[in-house]
Amino acid sequence: MKLHKGINLSIFTLVMIFLYIPILILIIFSFNDAKIIVGWKGFTTKYYVQLFQNDNILQAFKNTMMIAGLSTLISTILGILAALGLENKNFPGRKGLMALIYTPLVIPDILMGVSLALLFNFTQVNTGMFTVLIAHITFCVSYTIIVIQSRLEGFDNSLVEAAMDLGAKPATIFWKVKFPLMMPGIISAALLAFTLSIDDFIITFFTSGRGFDTLPIYVEGTIRRGTITTINALSTLMIGGTIFLVVVTKRIRKSLFSL
Amino acid sequence: MNKFQYPTYESSHEQKHRKRLNLQSWILTAPAMLWLLFFFLLPYLIVVIYSFLTPDIYDIKFELSLESYRQIFNGDYLRPFLISFRMAFITTVMCILLGYPVAYFIARSSEKLRSTLLVMIIIPFWTNLIIRIFSWRIFLASNGVLNDTLMSLHLIKAPLEIMRTDLAVGLVMVYVYLPYMILPLYSVIEKIDFTLLNAAMDLGASEVKAFFRVTLPLSLTGIFAGSILVFIPALGAYLITQLVGNQRSLYIGQVITYKIKNIPRNWPMASALSLTLLFLVTVLLAGAYFLWLRNKQRRRGESD
Repeated sequence: MKLHKGINLSIFTLVMIFLYIPILILIIFSFNDAKIIVGWKGFTTKYYVQLFQNDNILQAFKNTMMIAGLSTLISTILGILAALGLENKNFPGRKGLMALIYTPLVIPDILMGVSLALLFNFTQVNTGMFTVLIAHITFCVSYTIIVIQSRLEGFDNSLVEAAMDLGAKPATIFWKVKFPLMMPGIISAALLAFTLSIDDFIITFFTSGRGFDTLPIYVEGTIRRGTITTINALSTLMIGGTIFLVVVTKRIRKSLFSL
Repeated sequence: MNKFQYPTYESSHEQKHRKRLNLQSWILTAPAMLWLLFFFLLPYLIVVIYSFLTPDIYDIKFELSLESYRQIFNGDYLRPFLISFRMAFITTVMCILLGYPVAYFIARSSEKLRSTLLVMIIIPFWTNLIIRIFSWRIFLASNGVLNDTLMSLHLIKAPLEIMRTDLAVGLVMVYVYLPYMILPLYSVIEKIDFTLLNAAMDLGASEVKAFFRVTLPLSLTGIFAGSILVFIPALGAYLITQLVGNQRSLYIGQVITYKIKNIPRNWPMASALSLTLLFLVTVLLAGAYFLWLRNKQRRRGESD
């Protein structure tokens, strides 16, 4: 037993170094006072200042947040409704809908980008915020349905039955008993949708027109043009945001739902 | 008489109830269903149509043509497919080899430590994809951190040219997709009843033998799920290959993207290539499903 524990521990440590070294380097170099990456030239926060003075970045940030917020809201509502509808195991449309939900998850997402780009070309819709929003809802909705539905499946129905036995109206049962019980699943689904939306590059790349940049699109363009000085700082802030989100989520779930 | 009628009355009542429930399900699922029909399924119909049309520099001509498929069957695009499949395969294998010990280590550590370790895996996973790729560029560039460090330690004389090679693509792919392997593996290994392993060893099996006969077969579902989660996005990857790969060996994701985005555009070709990729993925998944079913049957047969 001892031998493989040692091997596992060392591989675990190596993988952790592997996972974190690039991120750490990025954070350290966001404070490096140099135009290009080579060598340490002294501590500076000027790139953070530049970041907040750059209108393009601020606009891209606003766009990202707006798209993520709206697509999370809409895909979560669609997810709640669909998950409730799928609770009925005898529902004749169940199999078809399940196939429709799971298929996007098992094909490369570049294909969704291509197909939506061609849809918007065929229907002559101007690409921009609207088309990006549609695309983001489309790839988020499968995830929100699955997350909320899996919570509903492991659901203890005795509370709902108890409420029914005590003569509560269906609406009361839903809002006072069922919905609060669904809440952890809904929050997980919303958070997943939010992260997926912020993270997406390729589908946005295919569905956004010129002039509507999200942060990943902006960052890619900047890397391509080679003016990367502020990207380190921007990345560091985004990594900070991620860690904040992960920790806060854990806290919320712990304190609210004692999970 | 009364007793006889009671069930029929009950069943018609039940039938009504079921009908009402089904109607309710249709209404509740309609928004998501219509959304996916319009924005997921319908677009593929357009991809199919476009694949039979004629390219135009900026747009598309509505004239039927089989040219795209002729070129694909001619093998003109064999290379991007081959290198993409090869890289996805290597990435998946590397993720299993690295991910398994990690998942095992987490699953077997104390409960308190476990959630912290999982968060440590999840943080990079939640960090923006493009930022993670970008950080590797800083690390691997010829004037980047790795070369700088190695040179100042006098371990190498000239910078290693890792950026813009397949090695860089492989490294970053493993880096990006490793959590997709670790998480499903963890959830399977965590559920394994380790008294089985101890029993096998008490009965005289060596540590290695016990692992291969007990632990590994029980974690196959996790390896399976993880492999699908790694292989498929790796196959269609664009951003990684574009940012750290070599422009002389294009992966299929890049070829498709260039045909859509760059001028001269060739949307019929992009469509036909997309459908080919879709077809290959479907065949692969069907094959994997078949293998999984057979493995399940065989295990059931063994236990009988």
